[in-house]
Amino acid sequence: MTGGRGLPPVPAAVTDVVERVFATVGEVHQAALRPQARTGLRHGGAVLGDDVREVLLRPDQLAVGLGLVVAPRPERRLPLRLEWWQVDPDGGHLHALEPDLRPTSLGYYDYTAAEWFDVPRRTGRRHVVGPYVDVHGTGRYLLTLTEPVLIDGEFAGVVGADVPVRRFETHLLAELGADRTQFLLVNDEDRVVLSTSARRLVGGLLPPGQPGSGPAAAVPGVPWRFLPVDDGTLLDG
Amino acid sequence: MQLLSGDARRAVFAPLHDGALRSEAVVRRVGSAIALGLLGDGEQLPTETELATLLNVSTMTLREALAELRKLGLVDTRRGRGGGSFVRARDDVLGALADTRLADLGTTDLRELGDVHAAVAGAAARLAAARASRTEIARLRDIVDRLARAESVPGQRRAEGRYYIELAACAQSVRLTMQEMDLHLELGQLPWPPAHAPELLGVIVASHRAVVDAIAARDAATARALTEGHIETRTLWSIELRLRAVAAGGPVARREVS
Repeated sequence: MTGGRGLPPVPAAVTDVVERVFATVGEVHQAALRPQARTGLRHGGAVLGDDVREVLLRPDQLAVGLGLVVAPRPERRLPLRLEWWQVDPDGGHLHALEPDLRPTSLGYYDYTAAEWFDVPRRTGRRHVVGPYVDVHGTGRYLLTLTEPVLIDGEFAGVVGADVPVRRFETHLLAELGADRTQFLLVNDEDRVVLSTSARRLVGGLLPPGQPGSGPAAAVPGVPWRFLPVDDGTLLDG
Repeated sequence: MQLLSGDARRAVFAPLHDGALRSEAVVRRVGSAIALGLLGDGEQLPTETELATLLNVSTMTLREALAELRKLGLVDTRRGRGGGSFVRARDDVLGALADTRLADLGTTDLRELGDVHAAVAGAAARLAAARASRTEIARLRDIVDRLARAESVPGQRRAEGRYYIELAACAQSVRLTMQEMDLHLELGQLPWPPAHAPELLGVIVASHRAVVDAIAARDAATARALTEGHIETRTLWSIELRLRAVAAGGPVARREVS
């Protein structure tokens, strides 16, 4: 618990969870900067060592997927490359994500246009996408956290991790325990990331002109804001 | 199987459970996956054992299906090192396969399929009007533009499948997205109406554009009604194609005589 010092309890807890996942992303980042990884990046070979995927198997791991997406370099004839691993929902089994990279297919996924790739590339900063249905990648309902990898000052790709929306919610609700404060966590497109009011559903968009019951607070390090609400209860008849 | 991912892989290789003629079901599933571009020309299929396990059929059934796919010219099997079964995307064969499938179905089957599709896509459109972000709405528009520009039948089918699947993803629902993927593997087994009447592509494109406009205007009721209405129209097209095939002495009539 280091990320949330000086913040109210909820944004502090959110920041802690987010920083935990970004610490995992940081490990992937370090692995992508090793000398042998740089050779892979330059010549289109394997970049990350076998040890990286093992990070997914740690008992307290929130991420179910992680890896590196290497930016294509047409001028050097290097295509887009993915080194992304997933752990099965029932745990234990690791496998590489094999996405559909043919533009002609129904399942084609244009990674370079995906927000989790494009935003770190454009801004040079880390980003969190979601909740979203990862139709062409994993078929799960996810938050994807990414940051850019720079080699000699040049954008080389992104490293990141996938966290299932359910796991994020379960973890945070457990952290907050008996606290019955009603609040929403909303992302930069006004989509609800987490809600403790049954009237506002995760994945829904906040209707325009519906402010919370108190001032919104930015959550440090992520494009999210914390919004207290006062919705009462649905169960008292 | 290198290139297939996520829901698409899950749907193509989901266990089959539609009755006695399982090898035919395998042929249809693979044919539809090729028609939708989920299996690309030249792509290698998983090994016989892997495929049989994935589809939940016996190796015997799978071998029958592969033999049939080879006979149809949709699969090439090479022996020895670097051998295996490879996909051959042949539009003429897929067209004939779709006609045969249509002839196997009754008009009530077509109505049922349309009813489920209207329920799933209609719900997705309603929810998308409330939940789609501006980026997602722009992506839907882009897909409809690509559908309008697509010249080949497979290109049109892919863009169309993509439209409905993205619509379900815009609803923020993994389950609706999976349902839509499954439905497209079934719909992909049927003839593509614009292949018979090219001007129908314009009708399809105009309808999808109107739905995206309604979603952008956050008009959930209109998005749903337009989606359901269009799918009903599509069902009627299929039913008419089915009835016409009988009248013309198509595969059904011939089969019943012989």
